[in-house]
Amino acid sequence: MAVKETIEAKQQIASPQLTGAEIREKIRLFPWWTVGLIGVFVLTAHLILTRPSYQDAFNFIRAGVGVTVQTTLVAYGIALVLGLFTGLGRISHNVVIQNLGTLYVELIRGIPMLVLIFFIAFVGVPAGVGLLNQIGEWFSQIGLQLIAQPLIQLENSSVPMTTRAIIALSVTYGAFQAEIFRAGIQSIGRGQMEAARAQGMTHWQAMRFIILPQAIRNVLPALGNDFVSMLKDSSLVSVLAVRDITQIAKLYAGRSFQYQEAYVTLAVLYLMMTVVLSALVKWIERRVRQDERNA
Amino acid sequence: MKNSLIKVFVLAIVLFLSACGSPADTSSTSTGNVGETPSINTPSQPEGCLGTAETAIVDLGCREVTIAVENAYLPFNYISIQTGEPGGWDYDAWREICTRLHCIPVFVETAWDGMIQAVSDGQFDVAADGITNTPERQKIVDFSIGYIQIQQRLLVRKGESRFTSIEEFAQNDALIMGTQVSTTNYETAVKFLPEGRIKAFEQFPFAIQALIAGDVDAVIIDEIVGMGYSGQNADKLELIGPSISSDELGFVFPKGSPLVEPVNKALESMKADGTLAALNEKYFGPSFNVTEEDIK
Repeated sequence: MAVKETIEAKQQIASPQLTGAEIREKIRLFPWWTVGLIGVFVLTAHLILTRPSYQDAFNFIRAGVGVTVQTTLVAYGIALVLGLFTGLGRISHNVVIQNLGTLYVELIRGIPMLVLIFFIAFVGVPAGVGLLNQIGEWFSQIGLQLIAQPLIQLENSSVPMTTRAIIALSVTYGAFQAEIFRAGIQSIGRGQMEAARAQGMTHWQAMRFIILPQAIRNVLPALGNDFVSMLKDSSLVSVLAVRDITQIAKLYAGRSFQYQEAYVTLAVLYLMMTVVLSALVKWIERRVRQDERNA
Repeated sequence: MKNSLIKVFVLAIVLFLSACGSPADTSSTSTGNVGETPSINTPSQPEGCLGTAETAIVDLGCREVTIAVENAYLPFNYISIQTGEPGGWDYDAWREICTRLHCIPVFVETAWDGMIQAVSDGQFDVAADGITNTPERQKIVDFSIGYIQIQQRLLVRKGESRFTSIEEFAQNDALIMGTQVSTTNYETAVKFLPEGRIKAFEQFPFAIQALIAGDVDAVIIDEIVGMGYSGQNADKLELIGPSISSDELGFVFPKGSPLVEPVNKALESMKADGTLAALNEKYFGPSFNVTEEDIK
């Protein structure tokens, strides 16, 4: 009898029956949105493979993917560096550095990205080039010809539109990331800094070995988010006639009047890239959390 | 609790009122523009209705005709710097056409990119923006009869010596061409240059600013428009080279639009009595260089 009960109990554990509540729970937790997204991709792939008009649009537009990806990567790299140093500057005790950092962040956060792109392309860079030319003139008057010559010869056309667009993107995102880094650093308890200083480290050693690693781990989700966001904002460089996928889609639609094919393909291309990037960012976050737990 | 409820309520009202505020559309401001001559003595006629039923070639009965314009395309449609009001050949021409057809012209500012598609979709009754008649475009829209034949030429910085024609331009790989997206100018450029050497901007003023700043070396543009812009920047720009392509310009309508016939008749009558020639002379003739003072 006891043996039979034990066997029944073991069977119950070995092959549990799913109750109605458990099935509903599974349905509720299942990522249906992934299925939806995959559906969109499958539908678009089908359209591209079966309809020649979609095939034309796709072949035309994908030529710009390289420019889009390159612009995003370079601009993000610069924004990271800019953001880190500005973030550190904002919490520095030095009056000049702190105020410069705050001025930069407040200025840039007040101007929309599209306006900033036009500003830098048509006002900022020509003014900068003019300034460098002037500095070159002064150098050549002093007699430092070696430095002077390249500065004088600098022209507006030496700075391609792609570069100006990257400057605008990285300057904008640098300001936002400065705030992210600042928040990350300030979220680390004062105890950490005090303990580090008590160990005999200087302020900067403490920052580099103790505070920043923890801070960056904390803000990794926000940074990853910014990366995906920058990929989408890179579409704005099309107003400077830079040949990224948005510009090429516009040109294609303008010439062929296939607006539906062009813009469906364009939207799904961006979607594909951002989904892949989001997955990558999630994976990195998970790895970092795992390391933290294992450490 | 009550305090925060009141705050939320006030915020909601403010947002609601701002959303219901004056809509920023130009169409309502443009019918009563710059010296409209309303009809003679019919008080029942709606405001902005031009001409009369008796004198009309085809009586459209004061219907509103929505006309898509770009307002960034000298001398066809542009914003006068002096008065801040939109004006140009298209505005004058359509006021004349509506006088002869007894209708109300309503000008709507639109982006050029997508304008023809928007007309094809029925969003506007007609588009007027110096649009070239091409077989591809005829597939999705109807064109009026041509009102002028124009040449495409190169606009360059004054004193440009590296090339004198588009063929020479094409041979020098370092040179970049500027133009506007979705134009026949762009399509002509593609015949001579690889796409990587062509920068297509949203509007011609951007391309011309890029030319002045040195970012592009030439702008391929309709001669009339080039004259308008080089008139504005006479010390910096000039038109060079022979005609690259000859294009006929017309108005575009949705396919099967009932307006095509009446407008064609109006244009014919304007050609017959010299009105069209006078209008072209005013905006496209050499005296148009005076526009610099007009616009300032």
